[in-house]
Amino acid sequence: MTGLKIRSGMTRLVPYAFILPPMIYLMVFMFWPLGRQMYMSLTNTRIINPNRGRFVGLGNYERLFEDPAFYLSLKTTLVYAVLAVIFGVALGTISALAIDRPFKGRPIVRAILLFGWAVPNVAASLIWLWMYNDRSGVFNRLTEMLGVGRFGWLTSVDLALPSILATTVWQVAPFVMLVVLAALQSVPQEVREAARIDGADGLSTFRAVTLPHIRPAIQLAALLVCVWSIRRFDIIYLLTGGGPVGTTSTLVVKIRQTAFENHELGMASAYGAIGLVLALAVAAIHYAVEQRRMKWMGR
Amino acid sequence: MLNSPSRRQFLATVAVLAVAFASAVPGIGHAQSKVTIKIANSQWLDALRGKNLWAAIAKYQEVAPNVTLEQVAIPSAEFADKLTTEMGAGQGPDIAIMQEGLFFAMADAGFLVDIGAATEGVKLNKTNDNGMIDGTRYGIAWQRAAYALIYNKPVLEAAGAKVPTTVEELIASAKAASAKTPGVIGFGARHQINDLSGWYMDFQSWAYGYGVNWTDGNGKLTVNTPEAVAAVTAFKQTYASGIIPVGDSMPTQRTRFKEKHVAFSIDNSGGTLNIASGGALASKDIGGAAMPFKNPGAHQQIFLGVSKHSEVQEESIKFLTWLLTEPAQKALREASGPDALATDVPVSDDYAAANPWAPAFVKLAETSRSTLIPGYEVETMQIMRFVMQAVEKVILSDADPKTALDEAQATIDKQF
Repeated sequence: MTGLKIRSGMTRLVPYAFILPPMIYLMVFMFWPLGRQMYMSLTNTRIINPNRGRFVGLGNYERLFEDPAFYLSLKTTLVYAVLAVIFGVALGTISALAIDRPFKGRPIVRAILLFGWAVPNVAASLIWLWMYNDRSGVFNRLTEMLGVGRFGWLTSVDLALPSILATTVWQVAPFVMLVVLAALQSVPQEVREAARIDGADGLSTFRAVTLPHIRPAIQLAALLVCVWSIRRFDIIYLLTGGGPVGTTSTLVVKIRQTAFENHELGMASAYGAIGLVLALAVAAIHYAVEQRRMKWMGR
Repeated sequence: MLNSPSRRQFLATVAVLAVAFASAVPGIGHAQSKVTIKIANSQWLDALRGKNLWAAIAKYQEVAPNVTLEQVAIPSAEFADKLTTEMGAGQGPDIAIMQEGLFFAMADAGFLVDIGAATEGVKLNKTNDNGMIDGTRYGIAWQRAAYALIYNKPVLEAAGAKVPTTVEELIASAKAASAKTPGVIGFGARHQINDLSGWYMDFQSWAYGYGVNWTDGNGKLTVNTPEAVAAVTAFKQTYASGIIPVGDSMPTQRTRFKEKHVAFSIDNSGGTLNIASGGALASKDIGGAAMPFKNPGAHQQIFLGVSKHSEVQEESIKFLTWLLTEPAQKALREASGPDALATDVPVSDDYAAANPWAPAFVKLAETSRSTLIPGYEVETMQIMRFVMQAVEKVILSDADPKTALDEAQATIDKQF
């Protein structure tokens, strides 16, 4: 009897034992640094004196909310993230639908479409930097051939953000394509065929059968693309460094500038905290949408 | 018992005395122990110059066989970030070779030690003046690279263009050179905010050239003076003339110069040495002249400092003592081109003959000014970001220079 009790107690502990290592990992590498960052945002810590920061309460946040550059960077971050999601998800989904059906050369097309995802961000940024070059870039060669002249893809106030977006979409769309493709290939064929037998055309079948099935995958991909875009640094920094005239200066670029140029680690942490709140808000919206959908499906 | 020590106690006492004696006598004990000194510098990565500079200082290992010098090569774009982070964490190299702005930040944070002992009895020149802060010597000059106007002689001769003495002449000569030799860029210059640390230092030559001081007589920051407006207007005029290769980074422009595709550039002596080394354009075909401004321009200064976190501070200071000796400075001169060094070591006649651009830099270094704002050395980059953003606004969105600088002044007034 006692042996049974002990065994039952041990069995109850097994899940905790499995959870423990990742919990320790998260505590050490995620929550502890996050807590430190939050605290640091309330201090005047400087990067060259990281352990001598003095508590300043909400002083950093007050300064931040009084700074017009903060609102510009917040707006730029939101515009960049939203457009990256719209174009990245649209292009990725269209690509997935295009290569879902078998056709000659599909493996080659799939490999080509995946190329953007496989290239490291820094390498991709440098490739695009050259393609955007005012003097020798391939885009300006094309526009010159078309007779419309040269453009300052990264140096014009109007074109810099769209140019960065194009590079970003080129990078993230293949990821969306992979996720959606996996979902597409799990759509039961018999349901599609039943719809067809019932007289549904291609578009109706897509709307009534395929889309509901792949919607969770699209939502997940959109969430990830959005969060990645909020915290994306390498592509933006390498292509424009936040310029011209601050038009591509997102929160993350401001964090780097505040921490490493101004040496204000406390202030940079405050910027980081705002970014975190933004990412959490996006996740909360996703969660709320998902809950509503589940409730609707359960009815 | 106390009065009659045992044999073991006696031997222990003898051993302690022997160790104490050995450590007190130079050449015995410590001096023979192996020591590694880590020296951080972004220049170690420069194609040819890095190798030559390292060869010059590596000679110390012949003088001090117990010392091993170890390179810490960090790309220049990451140098300040990496060093700041490492030093902040109580780590980093023993000796750092750093730009003046970073040097001041390090000294201000208390990360550098007094190296006055290395300079005793040495006749230092004025390049070391800023290495002394509040009466303590934290840095000695590694190199001072003045700015000058450099040009591609054959391209200018082919176009019949003259070496300019004003911005208007620069634009005219650059256009003439581009027109005569298709594919040639008129004028290489930094012009993008994503290269802020380089651009603001380059721009100081324009600002100083037009008489800018950035502070008034009382030390108050003033960035919207008529002189500053004139400097920004001149830069705008140059940018708008189409002679600058918009979008090209400075390394790309230097490579283009090396490959004979640039007529003019304003660069420092270090950058010019880079252009003159190992490219298609022979060093003898590069010309050097005063910049096309009324007043003297800027220089970039690099300091050597010893880290507070170093465990071999004493040995590092001994290395610096050697570095200031005549043979070491001469060896450094060979690798440094016309950069001014910590002591006055003239450029040889042979060098000047083979590199006709060099004497102009030596001359300009006599009157050049630091890129840092006096009294705001640590905050210079932060201040200059506002100024450069104003410059960027003027050249890209046709903003009025005075209005843009007034806005920068308002932001600076709020923060400083």
